[in-house]
Amino acid sequence: MLKQIEGSHAVARVVSECRPNVISAYPITPQTHIVEELATIVGNGELEAEFVNVESEFSAASVVLGASAAGARAYTATTSQGLLLMSEVIYCIAGMRLPIVLTCANRAISAPLSIWNDQQDSMAVRDAGWIQLHAEDNQEAADLHIQAFKIAEKTFLPTMVCMDGFILTHAFEPVDIPEQKEVDDFLPPFKPKHIVDPRWPRGIGLFADPRFYMETRYILHRALEKSEETIKEVSSEFAKVFGRDSGGFIKTYKLKEADVAIVSMGSVVGTIKDMIDQLEEEGKKVGLLQICCYRPFPRHEVHKALEDKMNIVVLEKCISLGRGGILASDVRWSFPRAEKKDRNISSFVAGLGGRNISVDDLRYMVEKVEKEPAEFEFLGLKKELIAERDM
Amino acid sequence: MNKLPLGLALDLRNVVPYKTGSWRTLLPVNIMQTPPCSNACPAGNDIRGFLRTLAEKKDYEAAWHVLTRTNPLPATCGRVCPHPCEEGCNRRDFDTAVAINTAERAVGDYGLEENLEHKKLIASRKERVAVIGSGPAGLSCAFHLAKRGFHVKIYEAYGEPGGMMRYGIPSYRLPNYILRQELDNVLKLGIELECNVKVGVNIPMDQLVQTYDAVFVGIGAQKGLSIDITGDDAKNVFTGVDFLREVNSGKYVDVGKDVVVIGGGNTAMDCARVAKRLGANVSVVYRRTRIEMPAITAEIDEAMEERVMFRYHTNPVKIITDDDKVVGILSVQMELKEPDASGRARPVPIPGSESVIPADTVILATGQAVDYDGIEVQKRDGKWVAANENLMTSIDGIFAGGDAVLGLETVSAAVGQGTRAASAIEDYIEGNVESRLARPPVIYSRDLNTYYYQKKKRFEKEALPIHMRLKHFKEIYPPFDLEAIIDEAERCFSCGLCFNCGNCFMYCPDNAVKISPKTGLYEFDLDFCKGCGLCAKECPCHYIQMSLER
Amino acid sequence: MMEQSKYLEGVEKKDLFAHGHRACGGCGQALAARLVHDAAGENTIACVATGCLEVFSSPYPDPAWRIPFLHSLFENPAAVASGVEAAYKALGKGPVNIIAQGGDGSTADIGFQCISGMFERGHNVLYVCYDNEAYMNTGVQRSSFTPYGARTTTTPTGNKTRKKNLPMIAADHGIPYVATATVDDFRDVQKKVKKALAIEGPKYIHILAPCPLGWGHPGELTVEVCRLAKDTGLFPVFEIVNGKVTNVRRIPVKLPVEEYLKVQGRFKHLFKKGVPTEEVAVIQEIANQNIERFNL
Repeated sequence: MLKQIEGSHAVARVVSECRPNVISAYPITPQTHIVEELATIVGNGELEAEFVNVESEFSAASVVLGASAAGARAYTATTSQGLLLMSEVIYCIAGMRLPIVLTCANRAISAPLSIWNDQQDSMAVRDAGWIQLHAEDNQEAADLHIQAFKIAEKTFLPTMVCMDGFILTHAFEPVDIPEQKEVDDFLPPFKPKHIVDPRWPRGIGLFADPRFYMETRYILHRALEKSEETIKEVSSEFAKVFGRDSGGFIKTYKLKEADVAIVSMGSVVGTIKDMIDQLEEEGKKVGLLQICCYRPFPRHEVHKALEDKMNIVVLEKCISLGRGGILASDVRWSFPRAEKKDRNISSFVAGLGGRNISVDDLRYMVEKVEKEPAEFEFLGLKKELIAERDM
Repeated sequence: MNKLPLGLALDLRNVVPYKTGSWRTLLPVNIMQTPPCSNACPAGNDIRGFLRTLAEKKDYEAAWHVLTRTNPLPATCGRVCPHPCEEGCNRRDFDTAVAINTAERAVGDYGLEENLEHKKLIASRKERVAVIGSGPAGLSCAFHLAKRGFHVKIYEAYGEPGGMMRYGIPSYRLPNYILRQELDNVLKLGIELECNVKVGVNIPMDQLVQTYDAVFVGIGAQKGLSIDITGDDAKNVFTGVDFLREVNSGKYVDVGKDVVVIGGGNTAMDCARVAKRLGANVSVVYRRTRIEMPAITAEIDEAMEERVMFRYHTNPVKIITDDDKVVGILSVQMELKEPDASGRARPVPIPGSESVIPADTVILATGQAVDYDGIEVQKRDGKWVAANENLMTSIDGIFAGGDAVLGLETVSAAVGQGTRAASAIEDYIEGNVESRLARPPVIYSRDLNTYYYQKKKRFEKEALPIHMRLKHFKEIYPPFDLEAIIDEAERCFSCGLCFNCGNCFMYCPDNAVKISPKTGLYEFDLDFCKGCGLCAKECPCHYIQMSLER
Repeated sequence: MMEQSKYLEGVEKKDLFAHGHRACGGCGQALAARLVHDAAGENTIACVATGCLEVFSSPYPDPAWRIPFLHSLFENPAAVASGVEAAYKALGKGPVNIIAQGGDGSTADIGFQCISGMFERGHNVLYVCYDNEAYMNTGVQRSSFTPYGARTTTTPTGNKTRKKNLPMIAADHGIPYVATATVDDFRDVQKKVKKALAIEGPKYIHILAPCPLGWGHPGELTVEVCRLAKDTGLFPVFEIVNGKVTNVRRIPVKLPVEEYLKVQGRFKHLFKKGVPTEEVAVIQEIANQNIERFNL
């Protein structure tokens, strides 16, 4: 049913329809509306679940770890500092192959303190062994949660749904919230494989000496790579059932004929599409490759989609300090070394700490790379604020 | 190798444990040790064994069988033994010794009441052994030989068996019916007894030597020795041995109003207390003081309770007679000087201290000797039978034991000698090399971990009130409450032997103490034991000790 | 089979924490872990913190656990156990005993917040702290349970602070049951575990578990050292039921603290040529305060 609804509430509604048994979270802006709404849903009896109000994100992650290890479908949500505080547990959850779903309402990282959006937080745990899905808008954010539980529980890989803080979480848009029965039909009850149960005693979280540790990492890496199939499968199944094209590995927009290909992810792709349409009217061929699944990274899809593109620009809301664009590195790595094409891949960082990314900014970026490729550049930087002495 | 499970979540039902035993440098071992009680017991009783049987199984019958493995006379020894075992008891350093002697009597009496019977180890064999004397030494020897299948015949000089137990110990200490029952029980093993036959007088020793494969001489020290004193030939002057024998034979002895007993040994105490029961005022005259008296402490105490008067530092000079009848004793006061050869202070008369003690009867309990009438063996100190460490005398095939060899000793000591002699006789007949086993080391209280024992009041037997005792010759200690004796047995520390406390089992941080399915006892699982020593440290009774890993 | 020893009546020995673990010889924590889980029985889930216990008992593929074992991190067993409990509630499973546990570092320091949260939220979980008074797993560094005067690798001249009193802090959360115990008294440990598990809500049991390596005493003295800790008044044993201190173990014969200190290498520096330094007087004062406070 189509509803004019805040992004956070849409996510909360959909998560509730996924019938998690245990929800545990710690409030942090801009995630709060999600868990407040879930608390309300549990409180008024719409959802039968244990809602555990913990004293930190660290404990929230630990609680869902314990709950999942005990056979529950478990959910948590956080962002920014909260995700960093969880990070130790985040690694654990993946290593233990617990299919937990987490919403990351993407936000910048301190210091300085910023409650506004960028994607530095989820990037900080990109290597932890989680599947990371990025939503473009609130409809996709909602849809991705339904898919996330299914993907996680099929692959025994924890899954993080990333949605830009404020831009999505606090935006009111019309969202089609599926009926409970539709979700029930799509998402079967969780069938755990390895849980703590006195009837079948198992040791979970055993320590591995050098004879065994490497193999556990290899297995986790391969499992992530192989989850590609499940992610695509679930996405197309979702499209069939719900009639919406959400999730999957990548999406493209006017890419086929494009001279300049922009690669990006998250809510900014909406703005990018607007700009592409503007430029198209002006006779310029610019296309978009949207990364829907950041981990596992859709390397082959990216390669295939961009094979004939000589001018590629990667725009991202995060940075590997001292190195540059993170997504840009992933994109560069997607092309085989043996391929000796004269391909330019420019890297732009934008929108950090909630800085607005305007169509003009994007036009500037395209014009710039049309002239010459940019190795790495901050977009929309106010040079007048920067003191040379501090660099 | 097995494939790694999902998330490394391992099924714990089929884990093959990692063996940590290889870390060990020290090894726990069970070492059974000799408890000090058994070490001190002249009869070699398994005291710990019978007490723990009582404590753990509450089974008097089983306890009786443990006791009678070594000693056929528990009811008797439980009454008359001065119980050196209790002197040794490690519990003395904790609170008070276990009342072993009392428990022994309770077990012995239970055996008699329930008519428990000794079991033969070997049904029968052809060899024959003669035992001369049916005192504790002879009986014990006969008992052990009979159990091992030998044909045994006892020759007893007096009308009834028992030796000094029958004729020397008054019945208020050892009722005759108890002794008789215990004796009969021994004889039931098929031992032949012939009374009123004095070997060497009625039947020559040579005849026995020719008829039997071996002979045991357990003739005791039945001859009372008098001291060289004027007037000792008067009527109403007895040796202690003779006096006791008269009374124990059931004869009425008119001792008159005043009785003087000379001597400080057990016989003197018995004579004094018997005379007291015959209605006399009794004085014990002794040259030294109470400290030097050789009698058992308890006997002296009981005599004092019964108002026997003790005259210390007093030496008889002359028995004063009138018409061949005693009327008194002239005595002199002594003072003690530097010790004599026996180590006791040497008494020297004080000039001018003579006085007269009135007496209607004088009993000279001043020593006993072996009655060698018709028996010729080599002697030790000119008095006692000389025997080697296997208790064989100078004559091949003739063994000896008891007071005849030891000098004046206890019933238990005689029982112990009988036991040893029986083994030696068996070895002799079978032509074995001496088969005595070395005893494990004795355990002392410093080796125990007494944290696990609780302080508990000792069971004290209660004697009849004095006025009741003196009216008759009935036993002064009435029967005990069997439950109370079990409680007392629980006080036994079980020094040097596991009593199943479970400490090792519970404390081992490596779960390396198991219950053996074969023996049901605790055993070490050396696949896992790291040799930390916690079990040994917390073993209350020092049964577990650490040794170097081989 | 032998009959159960009459001395072990009511005592549980099931080896649910089994042999084959890699603890040092005489390890108090290994002993404590077995006592606790044998008392709890098969229907138990153990949520274990990183630390000695976890490292020596849970290497793949031969862990010592025979009941479900769940380990995630150093500081979170209380939170993980909260999650397990929430799952059991939500799924309508159980009843089951859930025991979160860790050493003193995990409990009093890095995991303190998680434990406080677990207590405050009222989860039906028993938390057991194996107190060996320092970070033993990492090589004997000071924790907030390290007693005054003790030498550790990070307090080479002796610890200058007093031990954090977690049992009282736990009790002040308003939880229904708090107890302290020592591994020498296995009956007491098991009685308290059983009692705690019969109570609904969060419970805390604090067990003194000597570490021969870190404390510097031979492994065979692990039990003896506990007794000395109790009989000197340095480790009070009691229960707090619904906020009231009760069942205080009275000391039969009070011993001077030297008796406890001198058997341990970590206090050796408090005696100069056998003569106690003034730190010993401070420790005696701590013992005296305990004795007075708890009427030991």
